[in-house]
Amino acid sequence: MAPTTPMTEPERERSARERRAIDSSCRVPVLYFAASAVFWLLAGSALAVIASVKLHSPYFLTGSPEFTFGRVRMAHLQAVGLGWAGMAVMAAAVWLMCRLSRVGLIYPKLLVFAGTLWNVGMVLDVLGILFGDGQSVEWLDAPRYVPPFLVAGLGIVSAWTVATFRRRRERHVYVTQWYVLAAVFWLPWLYTVAVLMIFWMPATGVVQPVVNWWFGHNYLGLWMTPVAVGAAYYIIPKVIGRPIHSYYLSILGFWSLALFYSWAGMHHLIGGPLPVWLVTASVVGSMMMFIPVIAVAINHHMTMLGSFHRLRYSPALRFTVFGAITYTAVSFQGAVESLRDFSEVAHFTHYTVAHAHLGAYGFFTMIMFGLFYYMVPRLTGREWASPGLIRVHFWSSAVGITIYFVALSIAGWWQGRMLNDPNVPFANIVRYVTPFLAIRSYIAGPLMTVGHVSFAILLTANLMGWGRQRTGGPTYFVEPATGTAGGPRELAAAGR
Amino acid sequence: MDRGMVIFVGALLTFSSSWLGLVLYPYWQLQNEQPYAKSPGDDPYPRPLAGQALAGVRVYQANGCLYCHSQQVRSEKFGNWWEDGQMKTGADIKRGWGARRTVSRDYLYDRPTMLGTMRTGPDLANVGARYAEPWQHNHTFNPRAVNSWSVMPSFAFLYAREKVVGGQKAAKALKLGREWTVDPGYRWRPTDRQWEAILAARGTAIRQAHLAGAVARVDPDSPAGRAELLEFWLTTEEEDYQVVPTTAADALVAYLLALRKGETPLPEAKE
Repeated sequence: MAPTTPMTEPERERSARERRAIDSSCRVPVLYFAASAVFWLLAGSALAVIASVKLHSPYFLTGSPEFTFGRVRMAHLQAVGLGWAGMAVMAAAVWLMCRLSRVGLIYPKLLVFAGTLWNVGMVLDVLGILFGDGQSVEWLDAPRYVPPFLVAGLGIVSAWTVATFRRRRERHVYVTQWYVLAAVFWLPWLYTVAVLMIFWMPATGVVQPVVNWWFGHNYLGLWMTPVAVGAAYYIIPKVIGRPIHSYYLSILGFWSLALFYSWAGMHHLIGGPLPVWLVTASVVGSMMMFIPVIAVAINHHMTMLGSFHRLRYSPALRFTVFGAITYTAVSFQGAVESLRDFSEVAHFTHYTVAHAHLGAYGFFTMIMFGLFYYMVPRLTGREWASPGLIRVHFWSSAVGITIYFVALSIAGWWQGRMLNDPNVPFANIVRYVTPFLAIRSYIAGPLMTVGHVSFAILLTANLMGWGRQRTGGPTYFVEPATGTAGGPRELAAAGR
Repeated sequence: MDRGMVIFVGALLTFSSSWLGLVLYPYWQLQNEQPYAKSPGDDPYPRPLAGQALAGVRVYQANGCLYCHSQQVRSEKFGNWWEDGQMKTGADIKRGWGARRTVSRDYLYDRPTMLGTMRTGPDLANVGARYAEPWQHNHTFNPRAVNSWSVMPSFAFLYAREKVVGGQKAAKALKLGREWTVDPGYRWRPTDRQWEAILAARGTAIRQAHLAGAVARVDPDSPAGRAELLEFWLTTEEEDYQVVPTTAADALVAYLLALRKGETPLPEAKE
């Protein structure tokens, strides 16, 4: 983006009025999606801790079939993968699209209906799995009666996002809009094909896992990633008041992600009983991911260069930048991990679990938190009630995911090495991994859950109207010193 | 890139490429795969599951077994370790998980195909050939009754503990010590008071049985002797109660016993 001339005071005022009108048009559905997402995050966290404890203490809750490990594990993935991530992405997609198209949302009630379809679907999904209808197809464990709800809800959200884009009053289409548009187009296709080819008209034998991982990896790559990267593209320049480093890099990053990420999924089946060329194609796709990742990394981090002191003040920025930095790290790791020599060890182990959580949590979830910290006050007209609680949220999430990642990466790596050596009895591997899993159950998992509960309290308070009216600047961790670069006036103007 | 159509067409083309390449092409490549018969009169392999084993797939799915157990044996060249300064490969086969690697034909009739991505537990592609039915039931009922170190969940909820009628236990009753069957899913021990009461009521019979087992002789009334007696008694079966598999447990075990991928040689599975 070329730098624009500074706005005059009346222009500023008009622009702020316009933003308020747009925000009020989409307030109800976006907040509904956001609050639902946080509810599913809490449910998913509880399921996560239960599953984690059961993995090293098998007598915990052993009597009830509903809480057997396999079922809780499926329910956890559905709750956080579809419930939290799915609904958070939809909240983000609708709001970002309205804001960037400079147009209000029409028929917001239809989106409330779509959100209700999702919530009904998710309740059936999680309870259905716990009561024994799970499918054991990773990422697609939902019982057979669930996908119609999700597809219908998703269809409405996608159509509305596209319709909003078509009604846009801003001629320039910002990079975030590319990502959002592509994501809402990709997921319905992806999900429908996957459900059709695995459940309704099952493909032969090993084609099912191929479709399964084409879906599983692309759910992350073509739904969660684009919207989170797009959100970071929005939040970072907004909060620090500087344009994105390079428009051309953002084009390169977008198209290379679209092309290469969609090819990357088959490395989850490395060494498996399928045509070797499939896995090779995916390894190539995974390695080519260096291009979009480096492009996005340069763009995000170079934009931040010189503004890192602002992380002290702004919660939205701090969460978002944590996520953006993790995106670079986790993507580099993922590309290397897809290599055959590396996968020979890391495949089938907790190493992959650590990597998946670094991506889905350290990157995606942290950026969504950042976006919510920015977005919700603008929708409700209320500031966050407690900077202290935001601080608790940030540190418990950040430290929690770090411990999680380190513990499971170490455990997984040695688990893989030992699995590859038939002289090591299986019992030794189980015993070796146990203490690391206990660290997850008793330190990392609870820490992350504390973060989520803090966030849920903050969100509830905000929705209930507790917290001061939004008149001046946002709630900061600490009030910035006046008169310096990044002082409150500048930040408030940029962040309003 | 200010035009929606550019983004739409681009997103369509990039995504179509992976859809065609990763989904439709393998679908087309593998759709005509047929079961294998060495000579025209032989039974073809694989064969679709039927009856109890087919019902067992649902139990396996519903309980998320896939999340800890893969169903694929990798080739002799996959996975390496060092032994006496030499690099060796093919851990899956060396661990005895299957005689050969599994290939796409092994999964011809799997619905769904549960290859798995995690090995918290061992691979199950060939588990039916590795363990017999009683082992499968005992292990499913409570894995720690078989392997003390196991962290696998107990599936005791698929079994029923019932009173023995007519003095004769059912043929299907699990042959497990009472420590595993008194409180299904857990490992039971009597409290000191319960143990005193049991000794008072049936002490003589228990002692006789213990002596008949010709275990090391310790003075039965010393503390060590009493502890040994308790351990012995816990490993004996309950007299009045039995644990029998429900339909679901029978189905699950039938499925596990039918998991024999890698037993029949296939021409394409050479390594």
